[in-house]
Amino acid sequence: MIAIPYLAALTTYFSYGLLFAFGQIRDFFRKILDWSGSNNLQGYAPICVAHEDFYVRRLYLRIQDCFGRPITSAPDAWFDVVERYSNDNNKTLKRTTNISRCLNLGSYNYLGFAAADEYCTPRVIESLRKYSPSTCSSRVDAGTTALHNELEKCVADFVGKPAAIVFGMGYVTNSAILPVLIGKGGLIISDSLNHNSIVNGARGSGATIRVFQHNTPSHLEEVLREQLAEGQPRTHRPWKKIMVIVEGIYSMEGDLCKLPEIIAICKKYKAYIYLDEAHSIGAVGKTGKGVCELLGVDTADVDIMMGTFTKSFGSCGGYIAGSKELIQYLKYTCPAHLYATSISPPAAEQIKSSIKVILGEDGSNRGPQKLAQIRENSNFFRSELQKMGFEVIGDDDSPVVPIMLYNPAKIPAFSRECLKQNVAVVMVAFPATPLLLARVRVCISASHTKEDLVKALKVFDQVGDLVGIKYFPAEPDKEQEEDKIVKLD
Amino acid sequence: MANLYVTAVPPVDLNKNTEWFMYPGVWTTYILILFFSWLLVLSIFGCSPGMGWTIVNLAHFCVTYQFFHWKKGTPFAEDQGIYNGLTWWEQVDNGKQLTRNRKFLTVVPVVLYLIASHTTDYQHPMLFFNTLAVIVLVIAKFPNMHKVRIFGINADT
Repeated sequence: MIAIPYLAALTTYFSYGLLFAFGQIRDFFRKILDWSGSNNLQGYAPICVAHEDFYVRRLYLRIQDCFGRPITSAPDAWFDVVERYSNDNNKTLKRTTNISRCLNLGSYNYLGFAAADEYCTPRVIESLRKYSPSTCSSRVDAGTTALHNELEKCVADFVGKPAAIVFGMGYVTNSAILPVLIGKGGLIISDSLNHNSIVNGARGSGATIRVFQHNTPSHLEEVLREQLAEGQPRTHRPWKKIMVIVEGIYSMEGDLCKLPEIIAICKKYKAYIYLDEAHSIGAVGKTGKGVCELLGVDTADVDIMMGTFTKSFGSCGGYIAGSKELIQYLKYTCPAHLYATSISPPAAEQIKSSIKVILGEDGSNRGPQKLAQIRENSNFFRSELQKMGFEVIGDDDSPVVPIMLYNPAKIPAFSRECLKQNVAVVMVAFPATPLLLARVRVCISASHTKEDLVKALKVFDQVGDLVGIKYFPAEPDKEQEEDKIVKLD
Repeated sequence: MANLYVTAVPPVDLNKNTEWFMYPGVWTTYILILFFSWLLVLSIFGCSPGMGWTIVNLAHFCVTYQFFHWKKGTPFAEDQGIYNGLTWWEQVDNGKQLTRNRKFLTVVPVVLYLIASHTTDYQHPMLFFNTLAVIVLVIAKFPNMHKVRIFGINADT
């Protein structure tokens, strides 16, 4: 539920209309100017239909310098950003050799494992020497090392399920597993704001897809009841399988899933539940075990738990955790297991070591410290921003802090002004988010110190005033109130 | 005015091309754009108010016909072309007919026609062009015209 100031909504629509109109006029003149030139297609069809790349050419390229900035160091709390310039109004960008050291508010570095770590890195280098960077094979041929088996056991224990299977890439985990789990004659009910990997996997599976309103268990129940009553399209036979797909923390909104209510509904109507914990595993919960721990849900109630290692563990890859029979079935059928190269051994070692640190099994209490630090940092940052008058969405305890912008012109303005002051932020606009709701997405890390956050808040305060995004009234300073009281006396 | 807030509930529409139409403020923006374009036409051409409304009506006809009923597909490639055979009008509300949005969009050309013909005192040739515009636009929005391509005009190859 986002509260948009009405005037901001009107001006946003008008701005997008204006941008769209200008883009169309430029396309029109480009078509006329190119009419006389020869086309060197030689009978081949063009690569894309004429207006399919309209958004990229006319809207995205204008602000291209705010996206895809190259970095030249590990994505720690502070990192080096390469400066770029453009001679043709952002159509092409050229890199320079200058770098600026910026505060990193964009990386998914929730527990600070993205840079060299005193426990993990020596072990990773050791495994690099022992196993070499790649297994050069798929899991079923020659790509399963002892490391892979240990990793799967480690992940299953960490998540709280009997067994787990690990893949080399997080996106592929969703898009290759869903077609294997459910097919034609099945029903997938997914949250309206699910990640693209889930949407792709669902479309690839051939099952019927229905969408329910974001995080609204009552609407989920409505959709479930309607679909159960209707059955499969045209034949009206009962569905072969029903799967409800939700995420732990939604990456663009920063809000937690209403897991207990959704599980209650799924149990009532006998639907399977698939939980994608990409952003929540390792980052929330008292011991970092994700939303199930945070919301007090028994992991045995969630049928399939999926997650990625990119965010909290500083590595790459994804996992699926479930019952032994499920994992055994996946090992026989999933194409990502049978044909894709297995996860790189140093990456696997990084995951194992970081899990040990989180659980405190490395002998220190750095893991619990990191977990406490990220919770403190996120809550502090969120409450300070709200006090300043920004519109911040997302729940407390969530390390993803999106700040609403709305107008398209504020996207490059905020990004460029922050970069000038050496703070690097990630902007999210259409089509990753709805058209109206462009935002700045800040990812808090356990490696951010209090000084880093205070600096970021100062920069945001200044830039926010300049760009005009303080849509809510700011809370007055306590000191000013005390002054007023004194003066009245 | 700046303190007036509306709550936005993310709609259940996977098509990013039409999803923006379900948020609050779209109808008001549409009407305000029409009104301000009338003022703009009056300032540029210095014509009578009726002529101004006729120009707005005909420009509205060209623009909305082109973008609602002629252009097919979506302006981005992420949806892998599943809507490539459908115009924007056929994509709105996931193809469901007679929703609130569709009723509103059907009423706007009619109201524009009434304003334009009234302020020009029903004189020719303005009346002819205005009537042509409203007939084409309203027929294009009928539920029975969903996915219909007359004489194969604008059909997929």
